[in-house]
Amino acid sequence: MTTFYQLLFSGFALGCVYALVALGFTVIYRSSQVINFAQGSLLALGAYMVSWFAIDKSLPFGLAVLAAIGVCVLVGVVFQRLVLRWVAGQPVFVIVMITIGLSIVIDASVSAKFGANPRLLGDPWSSSAVHPGGVTLIWAKIWTIVTVFGVLLGFFLFDRYSRYGLAMRATAADEEAAMAVGVPTRRVFALAWGVAGAVATVGGFFLATFPNQLDPSISAVALLAFPAIILGGLDSPAGAVVGGVTIGLVEELTKGYQPAHASWLGTNFYVIAPYVVMILVLMVKPYGLFGRAPVERI
Amino acid sequence: MSSEVRVLGRTVSAAGLIAAGSVVAAAALTVALPFMLNAFWLSTLVFILIYAIAALGLNVLTGYTGQVSLGHAFFLAVGAYTAKVLGGDHQLMALIWIPAAGVVAGLCGLIVGPVALRLRGLYLAIVTIGIVFIGQHIFLNVDSLSGGPQGTAIPSVQIGAGAQCQPSCSVDFSQGTSLGGATIDHNALYYYLSLFILVLGMLFVRNLVRTRTGRALQAVREREVAASLMGINLVRTKLAAFVISSFLAGVGGALFGSYLSFVRPQSWDLILSISFVAMIIVGGIGTVWGPLLGAIFVAGTPTVLNHYADSVPFLQHGSSSGGLSINEFSSIFYGALIILFLVLEPRGVVGLAGRAIALAQRLARGPAIPPSTPLPSQQSA
Amino acid sequence: MTLLEVSGLTVTYGGAVLACEGVSLSVDEGGSVCLLGANGAGKTSVLRAITGLLRYHNGAVVHGSITFDGRSIIGADTSKLVASGIAQALEGRRIFRDLTVSDNLRAGAFSARDRSREKRVRDEVLQLFPPLAARLGQAAGYLSGGEQQMLAIARAMMAQPRLLILDEPSLGLAPLVVEQIGASLREIVAGGCSLMMVEQSTALALATTSYAYLLENGCVTHHDRTAHLLADERVRASYLGTSAGQAEVAAVTGEKAR
Ligand SMILES: Nc1ncnc2c1ncn2[C@@H]1O[C@H](COP(=O)(O)OP(=O)(O)OP(=O)(O)O)[C@@H](O)[C@H]1O
Ligand SMILES: [Mg+2]
Repeated sequence: MTTFYQLLFSGFALGCVYALVALGFTVIYRSSQVINFAQGSLLALGAYMVSWFAIDKSLPFGLAVLAAIGVCVLVGVVFQRLVLRWVAGQPVFVIVMITIGLSIVIDASVSAKFGANPRLLGDPWSSSAVHPGGVTLIWAKIWTIVTVFGVLLGFFLFDRYSRYGLAMRATAADEEAAMAVGVPTRRVFALAWGVAGAVATVGGFFLATFPNQLDPSISAVALLAFPAIILGGLDSPAGAVVGGVTIGLVEELTKGYQPAHASWLGTNFYVIAPYVVMILVLMVKPYGLFGRAPVERI
Repeated sequence: MSSEVRVLGRTVSAAGLIAAGSVVAAAALTVALPFMLNAFWLSTLVFILIYAIAALGLNVLTGYTGQVSLGHAFFLAVGAYTAKVLGGDHQLMALIWIPAAGVVAGLCGLIVGPVALRLRGLYLAIVTIGIVFIGQHIFLNVDSLSGGPQGTAIPSVQIGAGAQCQPSCSVDFSQGTSLGGATIDHNALYYYLSLFILVLGMLFVRNLVRTRTGRALQAVREREVAASLMGINLVRTKLAAFVISSFLAGVGGALFGSYLSFVRPQSWDLILSISFVAMIIVGGIGTVWGPLLGAIFVAGTPTVLNHYADSVPFLQHGSSSGGLSINEFSSIFYGALIILFLVLEPRGVVGLAGRAIALAQRLARGPAIPPSTPLPSQQSA
Repeated sequence: MTLLEVSGLTVTYGGAVLACEGVSLSVDEGGSVCLLGANGAGKTSVLRAITGLLRYHNGAVVHGSITFDGRSIIGADTSKLVASGIAQALEGRRIFRDLTVSDNLRAGAFSARDRSREKRVRDEVLQLFPPLAARLGQAAGYLSGGEQQMLAIARAMMAQPRLLILDEPSLGLAPLVVEQIGASLREIVAGGCSLMMVEQSTALALATTSYAYLLENGCVTHHDRTAHLLADERVRASYLGTSAGQAEVAAVTGEKAR
């Protein structure tokens, strides 16, 4: 039973990170119906920036995180203002391809600056832990859960009650109508990219605390958030959170039990387990658990 | 004014002559290329042609039918392993295993299709990412098929194969051959073979889009609901697109593996899939020439950049501890190029070529108009 | 005093499609103006030019001038225009269906002229359209067609406009509802807000506006007091010939007979 609780805990912590990554996707998808393939690269950039500010620039860790968030928000906003505004109205896959271009540029820039070797994050927790009832709770993961919940709460309050949160929802619902009633939609799009950059940073550095080191492969993790956003429905931030946590649990539980109980599924099956779950869910609900079918007019 | 000439009793415009002349010249050049290029350029060209074959398939699915798939790499893998089983394990002829690779991949498309059919737009794109991952997992774990993580050999193309035939009448593509004194090396052989298949594929696609099925595909892209009201069978149409797409991917995958002669499961990854999407978008989505032009851009740019990187002063070879290496530089350049390109010309190379041709035509018509008096219509354009 | 002045306006889409040519019209402070015309005459395009939405449709003003309160507003951002007092409700209502009625109204106040008055303005607006008051917490998509149109107008009014622009507010609504909306619009105009409205329903045009322009194939061919214009034989002939049905002409003559 201890194993089970242990897996539950780490699955939940991992799921929280996926939830953040997925939130980044949905915020942008909601505002412009585009999947941002550079989300994983932003996440890597954020994590490397935390490490750079904390270790190379010797900033206190909290400050390093804030500075890194600043960098990623800036990259997101500048990209939106400088590049994406020119392709508004183009087919979605053209815009998706442009975000893939951005991801190639960021990934290569990060590895040009920091190299391929793993480096330390500079976080204050290292591997310290508490042990209630035989279960090892690593502080880094506890902090992940706490912080992620804080960030998510903050986002939902913002989305629900603030002026710009309302503006984001209005723009998502009907861009032209939002413009017509006076919502500065261009600022809203930039804001969406800013939010995506910020949550990517937070997700990135928590992800890097798990093995407590940082290497370029971290940007691939965003790919694992895809099943999360699909499960939750592309346009539902709340769904993104549920989907993220689900996927984290699926992954960790599979990692823990599959090798012993279903070894015929092959080694490292946990890597694709989220995708298998996703496909199974989609066969039943084609728009995810929380997504809605768009109303089609003829 | 005589910008028209009489050829074989028919009146042909100068522009028409130029066009016909350039087609003949281009065809001649295409055939002569292997004798003009060194091994490096020729092998780059072979990869471009093979990629173009697979991209042609994706273009039917994504470009004409509007179903974005990121699972193309999986179907290439199926093609390559079919080649391995039929051509390698069972020693069948290339004439059999190349089409068979397409057929088996097409069948896989038929199996995957029904799942994908229920999904729209980016949901489909993400599920097909799942196919890539699951496929890779299977290939990594089924050693008998793929050799596991270590990889497996894919047979080379042999024509007039087997022991029954004299060495003189059989050609092993990995060895090269000689024809009337001229040696044709293995790069050139794969070049001609891929070119032949690509041309067949392009003719097929060009004709396809003019048929009933082809128009149905495009109707599905424009408006799914409306298409189904028009009496188009959505399921069958989308499945057809999926199967055609997978077929060409399979053929491309078999050639790809065969040309490389050895493949590992890790190569059939998402990045490969993404580069096919990049090819058709950068080339010009939903056009016959788009996949080839896109393949030239996507497969050619990094290769060329790497090749010439030596002459760029601030770059250094293979760094792992920071500093701008050649690979990183070419990646940054390549990514930035994609962004810039699509911002400036979202219709891709074909859109750009269209502009260039329009310009050329205006220039070709130029002599008819005295240069000093521009037409009002030109001013407003 | 003239509030909005459009002169010689020519609009194209994608550099090629000509939507209107040489259109001139004006709206006085406190005035109410109607823009009539058949489908495709270019009415919506004129409104888009005024409210800065052309760019969103890949269109552009290629000739002419538009001034609001004496200042040129060509190329201005829609949100800036809203803040300076031009609010609009688009053709086809276009409410935010998933948002609550209350959030729809809040969105309308995003660039309001005086944001500190939002609460008071909301109460005033809800008095204009009482059916909305009872449904503030509901998703707007569940409102009836008439209520949705009311919401669209109410949302625009949340910006505290000096000029309210409406594109076919009667579209698809029953005569009774149209009459209710007409009453609210008269109240809005009486409150000092200018009104510019595109309409195909001659009944609503007559009921709410005092001056009218007829747009045919992108050009203003007639303009006069609304009642005169609609009584004009030539206008009726051309209007009838292109779009308006027998019933509407009957409605016009009916109005006149009353
Ligand atoms: N977004 C657009 N892109 C290209 N052309 C457009 C666009 N919108 C309108 N047009 C064209 O401009 C012309 C005028 O259209 P507009 O919508 O202004 O007419 P309208 O009078 O509002 O018609 P309706 O009564 O149907 O609403 C039409 O020929 C139309 O095809
Ligand atoms: Mg209109």
